[in-house]
Amino acid sequence: MRKIIHRVTTEIKEIILDNDIKTLILTDPDNWPLPPFSAGSHIDVYLPSGKIRQYSLCGDPDISNEYIISVKGEKEGRGGSQEVHELRKGDILPVSLPRNNFPLMPAQNYLFIAGGIGVTPFLSMIPVLERSNSQWELHICASNKNNIPCSRLLKSYMEDERVHWHFSEEGNRISIPQVINEVSLGQQLYCCGPEKMLMEFENLNSEISERVHIEHFGFNKPIDDPAYEIYLKRSDKTILVPRGETMLNALWNADIEVPASCEGGVCLECKTRYLEGVPAHRDLTMKIADRDNYLTPCVSGCSSSRLVLDI
Amino acid sequence: MSWVGKIEGLHRTPRSFLPMKSFQSLKLIAGVGVEEDRHSTGEAFHSDRPEEGRQITLFETETLEALLRDNGVKLSMEDHRRNVTTRNTPLNHLVGKRFKVGNALLQGMRLSTPCNHIEQITGLDIFYLLMNRAGLNCKIIVGGEIFVNDRIELE
Repeated sequence: MRKIIHRVTTEIKEIILDNDIKTLILTDPDNWPLPPFSAGSHIDVYLPSGKIRQYSLCGDPDISNEYIISVKGEKEGRGGSQEVHELRKGDILPVSLPRNNFPLMPAQNYLFIAGGIGVTPFLSMIPVLERSNSQWELHICASNKNNIPCSRLLKSYMEDERVHWHFSEEGNRISIPQVINEVSLGQQLYCCGPEKMLMEFENLNSEISERVHIEHFGFNKPIDDPAYEIYLKRSDKTILVPRGETMLNALWNADIEVPASCEGGVCLECKTRYLEGVPAHRDLTMKIADRDNYLTPCVSGCSSSRLVLDI
Repeated sequence: MSWVGKIEGLHRTPRSFLPMKSFQSLKLIAGVGVEEDRHSTGEAFHSDRPEEGRQITLFETETLEALLRDNGVKLSMEDHRRNVTTRNTPLNHLVGKRFKVGNALLQGMRLSTPCNHIEQITGLDIFYLLMNRAGLNCKIIVGGEIFVNDRIELE
């Protein structure tokens, strides 16, 4: 069902271990150029267990033959990062096309705030801004000097006066209100980091809130719908979608072939026509007019007792 | 209908999703496909649904020009993801016909259909704009090496 031909095939060319962060340099097996990406993009990584995880691309977008991702090992996480840390040089790793929910908006001046591993999207942005002679500043928050995220990728910026370090264990914790107060007119503010930090930005009651950009990977939220029924009209088949299961998985478990890629309501590859019922759409990209007739089984749920699909 | 067309561009890529690269010539293998192209090696997005008509694919350069002129959409020869970009070649009329492309002989099998895949890759909203002008899927009757500027004509 989910074949490697439906993904971008990459090979792990090099692994850099940096404290508890593993940086993977991915290339095409024949070093063919990879699909291009813009600064701030991420990819879905399809792990051997079937888990799908999203990671920001942290290389220079002008380098066309490699993707770089940095992944922090999270012992208390859901297992994805631990699995990435078990990968070896030479392993084949299927990934999605790059997508960008965190693009650089046109501006002369940018302020970046990174909490730990949240520095990764900014590593793809800085080379672009350097080439266009745009102004930028980067605040990096970490527990201490020995725990600097992606220190090898940041090597050339360690002494750069545009980079500001905040080490919480040294009493130098970042003050979000102070940063906000110092934002200049026309400056775009980007934040990527732990959920608590993002919430602080999201709750901003400030006139600059429309210039604030936050990196979310929201389409990875677990589905927790009650069980419901789908009827496949053309196949004359009824399938039960159990509580907490995606419609896509229920279809696959019933041997119904539905192509899918991102499994996060973004790529629309699984877009399916429905004939009756009320879906809870949840996708991030479908045209509003299309929602009257289509749903995305990877994330859509059911707001009625059942759905009738045209498959 | 009298016409003589020519090859404007030749492209291939080894795997699904990867960018197409331009070449001055391509080697066509009868009954198989374009040497080192993803459709001949089973590495294409549609390789789990094989069909003879995907051995080689063609696209009209006039469609690229019309998209820019009429819709302001800049689509390049690398972007449409077909192997051969043609000029002055009425592809929609060649379904079921045999025609020469340089030294090779092709048979038109069916019109290509636009798909979400090309929108995913290009990031352009072009699905509907490509309806009825998304190119021609062919099988290779006689193989050989074809070159940019080669003639295209009916058998």
